[in-house]
Amino acid sequence: MLKSWKLKEIVLMSLFGVVFGIVYLVAIHFGNIWAGLIGPIAYEWMFGIWFIVSILSMAIIRKPGAAVLPETIAAIIEVMLGNAVGPRLILSGVIQGLGAEAAFAATRYRHFNLAVMMLAGAGAAVFSFVYGYFVSGYAALDPSFVLLMFTLRLLSGAIIAGIGGKYLADGLLATGALRGYAISRTKQGGAGA
Amino acid sequence: MHEPVVSLADVSFRFPDDQVNTLNGLTFTIRRGERVVISGPSGCGKSTLLYLLNRLYPLNCDGIVEGDIRLFGKRADDYRPGEINRLIATVFQDPDSQFCMTTVEEELAFTLENLRVSRADMERRIVDVLAQTGLTDFRNLVIQSLSGGQKQRVATACALVAEPEVLLLDEPLAHLDPLTARNFVRWLDGIQKQTGLTVIAVEHRLDLWEGFFEREIVLGSDGQMIGDHTADSKAPVVFPKRASGMTGKPALSVSDLSVEISGKQLLELLSFDIGEGEIAVIAGPNGSGKSTLAKALCGIYKHTGTVKSPGTGYVPQSPEFLFLTNSVQDELSFSGLATTKMLDDLADRLKLKAIWDAHPFAVSHGQKRRVAIGAMLADNRPVIIMDEPTSGQDVAGLQELFSLIDERSREGITFLIITHDMEFASAVADSVILIKDGRLTGKFMAEEVWENPALLNAHHLLPPKGADRREPAFA
Amino acid sequence: MSRLLHDMNPSVKFIIVTVSMLTMAFFFNPWTPLLFWIGILILQMTMSRINWKLWALMMLPFTLGAVGYLWTTLVFGADTGGEVIGSFAGIEVTDQQWAHAWSLTFRVLAFSTLSLLFAFTTNPVTFVMSLMQQLKVPPKIAYGTMVGYQFLPVLKDELTQIRQAQRLRGVGQDRHWWHRITGTRRLLIPMLAGAVRKAERAAFAMEARGFTGERRMEFYRPIKVSGRDYVLAGVFLVVLALSCAGGIVLGK
Repeated sequence: MLKSWKLKEIVLMSLFGVVFGIVYLVAIHFGNIWAGLIGPIAYEWMFGIWFIVSILSMAIIRKPGAAVLPETIAAIIEVMLGNAVGPRLILSGVIQGLGAEAAFAATRYRHFNLAVMMLAGAGAAVFSFVYGYFVSGYAALDPSFVLLMFTLRLLSGAIIAGIGGKYLADGLLATGALRGYAISRTKQGGAGA
Repeated sequence: MHEPVVSLADVSFRFPDDQVNTLNGLTFTIRRGERVVISGPSGCGKSTLLYLLNRLYPLNCDGIVEGDIRLFGKRADDYRPGEINRLIATVFQDPDSQFCMTTVEEELAFTLENLRVSRADMERRIVDVLAQTGLTDFRNLVIQSLSGGQKQRVATACALVAEPEVLLLDEPLAHLDPLTARNFVRWLDGIQKQTGLTVIAVEHRLDLWEGFFEREIVLGSDGQMIGDHTADSKAPVVFPKRASGMTGKPALSVSDLSVEISGKQLLELLSFDIGEGEIAVIAGPNGSGKSTLAKALCGIYKHTGTVKSPGTGYVPQSPEFLFLTNSVQDELSFSGLATTKMLDDLADRLKLKAIWDAHPFAVSHGQKRRVAIGAMLADNRPVIIMDEPTSGQDVAGLQELFSLIDERSREGITFLIITHDMEFASAVADSVILIKDGRLTGKFMAEEVWENPALLNAHHLLPPKGADRREPAFA
Repeated sequence: MSRLLHDMNPSVKFIIVTVSMLTMAFFFNPWTPLLFWIGILILQMTMSRINWKLWALMMLPFTLGAVGYLWTTLVFGADTGGEVIGSFAGIEVTDQQWAHAWSLTFRVLAFSTLSLLFAFTTNPVTFVMSLMQQLKVPPKIAYGTMVGYQFLPVLKDELTQIRQAQRLRGVGQDRHWWHRITGTRRLLIPMLAGAVRKAERAAFAMEARGFTGERRMEFYRPIKVSGRDYVLAGVFLVVLALSCAGGIVLGK
């Protein structure tokens, strides 16, 4: 699979991972530790932030793997930076990335419009939730509470990652920086083949 | 005559998305041990040509090559990926984006691993190349902690450790200040003499290279060859004579300005005055506090002391850092302080009409600078500080910058310009503010400074050419 | 003795940490994660040299998170039957729920301690090089990741410059989180546009030095798996197995 990838595309995904990491830490800074007291539901609504890099990369590069790879690389970099969540980030990164990838694969990598991107955000949310259900033991929680958490994460994936990813891809395309990438080759940056 | 290392016969190149060729019908041969510079205006395809020689192109851009490129007598296409890089090594322009490992030693090993050098040989080659380049003490240092000039030397060592026949240089001085650049060139000269390497460089500012090159291949703006001749030492960039735009009224008045950031005293008790329409150059060694001063004056950093100003603007080295919107027009009207008539007038004066609806990121660097200045003026900031606007500029870029500043100053705009480039400073400045170790050495009339080599030297500056003709050119 | 964990092969450590976490996920009694947590703490104390002050600081948010888990599971616990052992503000808690709540709480603490053990004893560069050498992560991915890591200080500085420049234009610190999220676009676009340029330059610089992405035969610094790594892995697995067994016995 990696044969068809140019090194500059892989490095691009890696730098995107770093950019999101830094902007998240410095500018958004929800890292408000007290939120933890609210319990696992506190972070559900912002899960989508972690999926953006998948969707943005896929929107730009449009190759099989362009969703799962950046999420994986971003997770490895987070671990290198000493993220306290540690090695399990890598596994969850791969799983989230696969969720987003599934949506693009289901449309056979032909469509990159808003609907598919929201679907990809939702896909990442579903995959990550299933994994979280197992690892974090949501089975011990009341089903209606779990459903609430799931709904929040799904919405976050579709809205923050899907709409946000599309919005950023369009914004970046307009700057002219993406010359030479697949996104620049289609006339209207989005509407598919 | 030595054997050819690179020969091109009627070579043309086109990017897949373009209609027209970037390079057109190039034919030339470069022989072993030559020192060749490829020059030409920005966008003439100089770098593209270099990338055809180290095989980054056509694969990386799916470009279309016509004609015959031979490297060491063999067709370029017949080399396997990575194979040619044993023989042809490259140093690029940006000191910050050439490395993937943490320490110098690891970075050198990266090259050797790529080339499948046996582990037993690695140690010897690392020791050798460090000795050859005078970087032995750098072996275990962290690359990101080095200065720009040091990084370029490390990048060169990483190229030389492959023991190549040809060294390609892609504007290696573009991000270095003139003094550092001159030292780099002299250092490289010693290495070339020792090894007999073939050196092929892309460069638009030949004056920095003194007499380094023997031969110059000149490309025209359409990617055709318009010259292939002996390189002669280039005269520095020529600027028109300008008359000062000073009106005699005061503009900026600074007294006892000090800046302390997280317990560190960065600037101490600076006082000076700048008049309306004055162009003041701020110069001094790296780390002396020039950018800190700029940021304190326009209010980004907190400071003590007083600064009186009718409104101070700031244009960073990358003007796009200021941009917030999706069009040039919105950029100028962002603050809402300027009336439609004022905006229209600014657009006229700054030649922004043609790009009025364009995305501010998608225009040329020179245009970005105009947009940034326009935005500052539209925000009622008639005192403008520019941070290193000369860095990485070619001749045309410098001349454009000159006229941009010169025209504004005659409109009564006041400028403070941070630069290491005394060539440019001597053309544009009314006065020079010298800073060292966070202290003001003084504010001088420009002519006073050019006549005082000791003062320039103490601030790590090269005198402008013509001011000191006795400076020996080396070769 | 005291630096054993620092010298452990990072890939082996990574696998052990991952296996331990996945195993923990099968247990809902409070004893297994509690025992495992204590076990990890003992390993960390005896086999590593770390800054415990910093450790405690980094542990703090997880501890708060654990408290969040505790009350969430008590209040929103699944209806599992069992005896009601107490009630508070109209919420009845059964013995089962009580056990689950503590189980999840200790699980959070055990996971966090394990993660910090990894973070405090693993050199990031060695980790990625080991992923490439032991776990056969393709060199393109491994070195692509390394580039990103090297760019961290450069990009951080760029973000500072952009924020300062934008503040000058009158864009202030957004007070509300929703403004901060939408406001990040202004920061992200220039950062991402710059990243596209830098990525190409960095990739070109690597390729010009002969990097093709092929697997390497020889490394300047080979990272090995030694007998000691197997012994350490064994120690972790024994702790894991004892916690599982202990939990099953005590949970009855």
